Amino acid sequence: MAEEMKMVEPGRGKRKFFKTQGHKKSSKKAKVMPPQHGQKKVKIDKKMKKLFRKRAREYNSDDEEDDEATVPATLEPKSLASITNKRNDKDGIESEDRSEDEGAAGPQKTWNKNATDMNYHSSDDEGEDDDEIQPGITKFTEGCRAFKMAFRNLMKKSVPDDMLGPILSGQRKLVVDKLAEEEAERKVKGEAKKEKQMLAEKGHVKPATYLDSHEKFLISVATKGVVKLFNAVNKAQTAQRGLDPSRTKDAKEIRKRTKQAFFSELGKPSLPAIGTTTKAKESTDRVEDEQPAWAPLRDNYMLTSSKLKDWDKMPDKNVSDDMGKTSEDSSSDED
Amino acid sequence: MRKKKQGFRRPVVIKKPKQPQEQPSVDPITGKKIPKSFVFSRGKLPAPLKQLQMDLRKLMLPYTALSLREKKRNNLRDFLNVAGPMGVTHFFILSKTATSSYLRVATTPQGPTLTFKIHEYSLAADIARSQLHPRCPKDLFKNSALIVLSGFVSGDPPLQLTTNMFQNIFPTIDVKTVKLSTCQRIVLLNYNKDTKLIDFRHYSIRLQPVGVSRRIRKLVQSHQVPDLRNLQDVSDFVTKAGYGSESEADEEAATVTLSSDIGRVNRASTKSAVKLQEVGPRMTLQLVKIEKGLCSGEVLFSEYGKAGGKGKSDDEMQGEEDSDGDEDEEDQDGDHPEDSEDKDQDLD
Repeated sequence: MAEEMKMVEPGRGKRKFFKTQGHKKSSKKAKVMPPQHGQKKVKIDKKMKKLFRKRAREYNSDDEEDDEATVPATLEPKSLASITNKRNDKDGIESEDRSEDEGAAGPQKTWNKNATDMNYHSSDDEGEDDDEIQPGITKFTEGCRAFKMAFRNLMKKSVPDDMLGPILSGQRKLVVDKLAEEEAERKVKGEAKKEKQMLAEKGHVKPATYLDSHEKFLISVATKGVVKLFNAVNKAQTAQRGLDPSRTKDAKEIRKRTKQAFFSELGKPSLPAIGTTTKAKESTDRVEDEQPAWAPLRDNYMLTSSKLKDWDKMPDKNVSDDMGKTSEDSSSDED
Repeated sequence: MRKKKQGFRRPVVIKKPKQPQEQPSVDPITGKKIPKSFVFSRGKLPAPLKQLQMDLRKLMLPYTALSLREKKRNNLRDFLNVAGPMGVTHFFILSKTATSSYLRVATTPQGPTLTFKIHEYSLAADIARSQLHPRCPKDLFKNSALIVLSGFVSGDPPLQLTTNMFQNIFPTIDVKTVKLSTCQRIVLLNYNKDTKLIDFRHYSIRLQPVGVSRRIRKLVQSHQVPDLRNLQDVSDFVTKAGYGSESEADEEAATVTLSSDIGRVNRASTKSAVKLQEVGPRMTLQLVKIEKGLCSGEVLFSEYGKAGGKGKSDDEMQGEEDSDGDEDEEDQDGDHPEDSEDKDQDLD
């Protein structure tokens, strides 16, 4: 009971302070008087508990203050809405005043205020004070620590001395790397092109401007061939000059000369076409001579056997020769 | 009034389109079929080989398709189908691998196919660039080339087949009726026994009069006016004959007597010197493989010793035929001029 009486007295003291501060606020407070009385009775029990807890925590250290800060938040929602609004307003005002005082005075005033709070023994006031102070202090300290760490890191870094400075020197290195890569790519492409060209040019030889012994030998061989051909043509065409193929006698002579020339060029001895031998002997000799000469030649060139027969028929009679020619024509037509 | 109207009328002239000259498929003189050829490539060829292909087409003129086009999707069957109605008898196929290039010479429609490895080649442009005075008269490619085979004396069947193939590629000539003015080019195939390489050369034939001083010959052959400033009389131009170079020394072996006039200078019944100048292309070939069919079929010969199946009766028969050919060709190929005689044989 005595404790209860003591609790009521400091409440009245607080009210007086508020009245002195502002006229408007005093009028509002008068209106609110009756409901606060009812709530106070209920709060006494809670306040007693809080006081005991605070006393125990004060003996320990700052941890108690943190706990106190958390407690009033829970109490506020329980009270009525209207009452909570008014209390919030009062709390705001008180916090503003105290923050101003702290900023102006310094550490000494903060200690004084703490003492005053303990004297009053009001849980709300003490909690509010703690809340206000801690975040500012922690933020500042955190900022200090962060800055300290960053500064230390910067100082620890060992940057090589460059005229361009660290950032520009890095850029310069990047450019150098890019150029090196480009050059490497060009080299690779160039090598690939060279390989391709080497493959394409394989076997392609540029001839010398002079004629070496091999080339001279080849030219001499070709010249001999051309000379032989031209001489043969000359002989053949000179021999048959002045002869008219339409006449029978001239035709016979032309045939004889062609055969003689052919055999002479072959290098084989030709039989004397002109002589006292009889016609029958001549025909038989021609057949014998021509067969071994012509048959293998035909075989060489993969000719059909029918052509062989045609050639066999030719020397027998003029009519047979004509038949052979017609057969040749027919074969050509078929082709 | 009526007369005036009639006068104003213009006559209508209908122009007939000129038809292209058709090439004969059969020689009118000898009655034999004129061989024609296609030169094309299989696979993608680099630029120098494409140029070689063009040079080969020019070499085979006038009996070849100079502007033959081919696409990736064309296969050998397509060319074969076109070759039939056009009378094409031979294919020249160029191809390239990582190791080297290859030239295939095939007879249509059923082969055989000879595969040559191209060891070295020079283009016509390269050869022209290497000469002081490259020569290319306008009618050089209007007639087909002659062929000279040298060194194919040994009686090996593959060489005989090669000889027959190349002899049949170029049209035969009739000694009795040919005009020497049409003989403008010559193809030389020289076989080296030791290295087994075939030298392929292409020359143009030129005739120079013999027994005429150098200045007069130059004056007659070219149309340039000589420089007479240092001479006091026109007779000095004839009297003071300059010395000819060693290469111009006239050899008895290189002179021929002509049966008809050729050009403005070389007259009939007078001697002329034969001069050959290389036209290109130039190739060094090696016979690598012979296949029975057209780029397919049985392998009759392989330089790398992979030929098989010689025990078969077909091979034996072919062997016999080849042996017959051996004897004849030995006699024929004893000397170089016999090559031309081979042509005579063909004619007769």
